[in-house]
Formats: sequence, C-alpha cells, structure tokens
Amino acid sequence: MLQFIIRRTLSMLATFFVVSVIIFLMMHAIPGGPFDGYEMPLPDNIKAKLMAQLGLDKPLWEQYVRYMWGVFHLDFGVPYQSPGETVMGLIAHAWVPSLVLGGLGVLIGAPIGILLGMAAALNRNSWIDYLASGIATLGLTIPVFVISTLLILVFAVWLHWTPASGWGEPRRWILPIMAYAAVPLATYARYARSAMLDTLNKPFVTVLRAKGLSERRIIFQHVLRNSAIPMITIFLPMFVGIATGSIFVEAIFRVPGLGAYFVSSIQKRDYPLEMALMLMISALFCISYLISDILYALLNPRIRLGGKAR
Amino acid sequence: MRLVEIDDLTVSFRQYEGVVQAVRGVSFDLESGESLGIVGESGSGKSVTCSALLRLLREPPATIAAKRLSLGGQDMLRADKKALASIRGRVAAMVFQDPMTSLDPVFTIGHQIVETITAHRDVSKKDAMQRAIALLKRVEIKNAEAVVRFYPHQLSGGMLQRVMIAMALSCEPAVLIADEPTTALDVTIQAQILQLIKDIQAETGMGLVMITHDLGVIAETVDRVVVMYGGRVMETGPVEAIFEAPLHPYTRALLASIPGQKPGKQRLTEIPGASPNPADPPPGCPFHPRCPMAITACSTTTPELETKAPGRTAACIRVAAELAAA
Repeated sequence: MLQFIIRRTLSMLATFFVVSVIIFLMMHAIPGGPFDGYEMPLPDNIKAKLMAQLGLDKPLWEQYVRYMWGVFHLDFGVPYQSPGETVMGLIAHAWVPSLVLGGLGVLIGAPIGILLGMAAALNRNSWIDYLASGIATLGLTIPVFVISTLLILVFAVWLHWTPASGWGEPRRWILPIMAYAAVPLATYARYARSAMLDTLNKPFVTVLRAKGLSERRIIFQHVLRNSAIPMITIFLPMFVGIATGSIFVEAIFRVPGLGAYFVSSIQKRDYPLEMALMLMISALFCISYLISDILYALLNPRIRLGGKAR
Repeated sequence: MRLVEIDDLTVSFRQYEGVVQAVRGVSFDLESGESLGIVGESGSGKSVTCSALLRLLREPPATIAAKRLSLGGQDMLRADKKALASIRGRVAAMVFQDPMTSLDPVFTIGHQIVETITAHRDVSKKDAMQRAIALLKRVEIKNAEAVVRFYPHQLSGGMLQRVMIAMALSCEPAVLIADEPTTALDVTIQAQILQLIKDIQAETGMGLVMITHDLGVIAETVDRVVVMYGGRVMETGPVEAIFEAPLHPYTRALLASIPGQKPGKQRLTEIPGASPNPADPPPGCPFHPRCPMAITACSTTTPELETKAPGRTAACIRVAAELAAA
C-alpha cells in the first residue's frame, strides 16, 4: 500500500510538472503583452525597461525556471493589475467567498443527489425514479445562469424571502449556494442511480439474497460499498470546481470571489496571477485524483492487492 | 417429510413484447434426503423454477402463480420478506453457476461465510469464523485459516465454487439447490466438485436439487430426474430407468445426442430444429414441431403429466398409445 501511494505521488508530481510547462507556454503564446495599451501606448524605451525589470526580456526557459523557483518558495509574485499586494494575498482574500460558496454547494448538493439516485435505483421505474431522473436532467441541462436568475425571481423578487444578491451575512449565501448545488446534485443523482443499478444487477447480489441476508443489509453493506467505488471518481474533482465553476454564479450574485480574476487576468496578460490560478487548479486536480486513487484502493481489494483483473 | 412441493407452478415475465411464460405448469416434489436432477436445455425453465421456489426473481417483472409452492413445509407464496430471509440459506441454500461472480469482490471470503452464519444463528463472530474455517476444510480447501482472509479475486474458479459450497452448507440446510454448479469450471475440476457435493449429501442426508443441461452430471449425482422442455415437465422417473428406457420422445432424443456412445468418428446426433420461443410457444405439446413421433393431435392437445409406469410419469399422448399397444 505504501509503495502504491509513493508510486502515485511520483506520477502526480510528473503530471504537475508537465502541466505547469504547458500552462506557462500557453500563457506566453497569447499574442500581446502586459504593456500593450492601445489608448496610451508606452514609449518603447520605458516598455523595455519595465520588461527587463520584470524579467520578461529573458528567454522563456529562464523565465520558467525563475518562476518555478519562486513557486517552490510560495512566492507567486505581484499581480500586474493590483501591484499593491502579492498574488498570494489576493488569492487568500478572494478565495474565501468562493470556498464557502463552492464547498457548501458541493457538500449540500452531493448528499442530496446521492440519496435521490439511491431512491431512484431502489424504486426502479416508479414515480420516484422518474422524479429523480427529471430533476437530474433539468439540473444538468438548464445553464447555471438561468437557474440563478430563476432563483432570484422566485425567492427574492416574488417571495421576498432572501436578498437578490451580495455576500456578507449568511442570509445572502442561500441563493448562490442553491444555484451552485444544482450541478453536483444532478450529477450525483445520475451517477448514484447508475452505479447502484449496476451493482444491483450483479449476480452476487442474488447470492446474498439466497443466503438469507436482510434486504437492508444487502443494500447498505454490500451494494453501497460496491457502488461507492465509481462515485468517488467524481467526488473530489468536483471540489476543484470551487475554483472555477462558480464564475457565473459569482458574477450573477455579485459574490466577491476568485471567479472574476480568471477572466480579467487573461485579458490583462497578468501572467503572475493567471499562472498562480491555473497552477492552483492543476494542483487541486492532481491532489484530488491522488486521494481518489488511494480511497479507491482502500475500498477495492482488487486494486489494493494487485492480481489479475476480472 | 416433503422438503419441496411444487404444484402447477407458472412463472411469467412482463416484457416489452408482452408477457413471456418461462414456466408453464410445473409440478414436482422432493422428499427429505432425496436427490433430484432437473435436466433440460437453455430456456427450458429449469433455473427459473428453482429461483421462483426461493422467490429470488424480481416481482415484477416476474409473476409467480402456483397451487402450492412450499419449502420445508412453509408456504413460499405467502411468506413475507422476513420469513423469506429466514428460510433462504437455512432451509434451502443455493449454489450458482458462475463462482467468479457469485461473491462480493470487496469483502473477504471469511466475512462472507460469517455473515451467512450470523444471519441465521445467534453465535459470536469469532465462533462463526471458527465454523467458516472448519467448513472450508470440509470442502477440501488447504490452509483454510489463510483463505478466510483472501478476497474472491485471489482464488481460482474451482476454489471459489468450493467456497460457495461451504457457504451454502454453513447453516446446515435441509435442501441444497445447485444451479449448474460445474458449467463454468474446467472438466477436471467438474468431477471433483460433483464428488464433493455427493459426499456431503451422503454425509449430511440433506436433499439435493441438481439443475443441469449435462446428462452426465445427472447420471452421477441423483436418484430421480425431472426432464423439462419449453417450460414444462416432459418426464419424471428414477435415473436408471430414464437412462435405460426413456419414455418421452424428447428424453430419447436428448439421450441419443450424447456424443461418444459408439467408438469411432461419426456425425453427431442432434435434435433438429430449435427450442421454442417462450414468447410464442407452439400450441399443444411444446416438443411436437421437433418430435419424430408427432401426430396431428400433438399440435392441438397439451398432454398432461400422467403415470405411465410405477414411479414414472411422462407428458406425451404417444407414449400412452405405445404402452397400450405393447
């Protein structure tokens, strides 16, 4: 098991390295630079001086090495669009609302989705199944900005139960979290249903019944554990969406999160901020897959102990 | 005591194309300690009959109807969920065709035997584990103490079928139902598993229902045979009598198609035609379209299972005619 974890960690680090190179190159492949203003063009000599000051005149590989050296010391530089603070500082304060929004959205949406999917699988072709599938399909097909707008219309404009937007006190969190929870809920409802049905149709479930185990024990001990294996794959990567997926929700509900910076830092060629954001997402993805793999192995003896696959 | 009583069992499945009758009026009994073989080709309804007996089919789409369906004296049609769970594994245990997919891949062998024991008996997990080890030794698994900690994927098919047998025996059932227990195994392993089942049956005196399409398996393991075709019973009788002088034309055709009865290379004997489509069964006797002895009446009247000789029954109007002539 330890060997397995070491192997996976090494391969994760390799992946992360490759991804960081690709992001770095892609950032610099975007035409233009941070000081190409059209309305008030800077004189060439000043521009060159600025570029030299920031190290942007060096060959790309040297820029990369210098950048990564900083990253290893948790120094992501200074964002060009907000030179008064560090990239770390900016992310730290802007990430809190995104984290609360996305984290609560997934933590509320996923369990409801799982319960819905389980109920659907256990009552196949009944009204519960159709209702759950209907909710899942709507959640996945209606764009999140439409859901958000509908929520505002119903709960804020018609019912006056909640404020329409803003952040701050927890009362204002309700609508954006509901909007954010729609996708995890729908995804999980579909996933849980198909994973449960898949397991329920396995011959060993019939054997468990033939042994005289109670239906409750069969479902909660055997079927659930077997179905959990495919569900884990999507659970952790879903948390990564906290850093990206909330762009629309944050914009509509005017949540002061990270979302807006993704767009603005590309437009402004804000290399340090964009690099930091992209690296952060990549790292989160890599780590979540690593944890998924380890959880997988803990749940599934065929992976943990190796041996021939069947 | 009659362990199994099946009287006029009908099993139908609701499907997109309509209702399919997989079992159409099957009746047979099993006395305690008796071993019974159910033989028939795929789609004859033999497995469905036994799954229906334990109420293992999903209802709906399946619908089960019978004048009587009892196991160990208990009415299986009236039993509620709790009663069913208590009967399954304790009164009747089942061994299935494919041992590779019969065990939960994420739990150890030991856990899966222990949970069967503790579901029916008030014993500690520790005692149940001791019993699991003893059972594995009984089914001739070496170093049983280690095997209880193994996961299913770490054992071969033959070993897993031994585990399945050990698990089935764990609560000393009155009947063991073996649904094609050797079909998925290598020929050399098949004989060992059959011998094991036979030995254990002799030792414990439990009843045995052996479902198979293999007449060789029947000949080696059971006292009495039920021959099924198209969801109906064609013939019943003691195993020797059926092998020596089959009554029903289908049984005859089945026996004739066993290869290698005469030495030398020759064309294999087959039964012409295909087995009936359960969604659209032929009228009258289900075998008449393929039967060499069929007459016009065979396609209009459905023959009843009648006693043709002491201890032997057959569902064929032509057999009665023949015996009368003899």
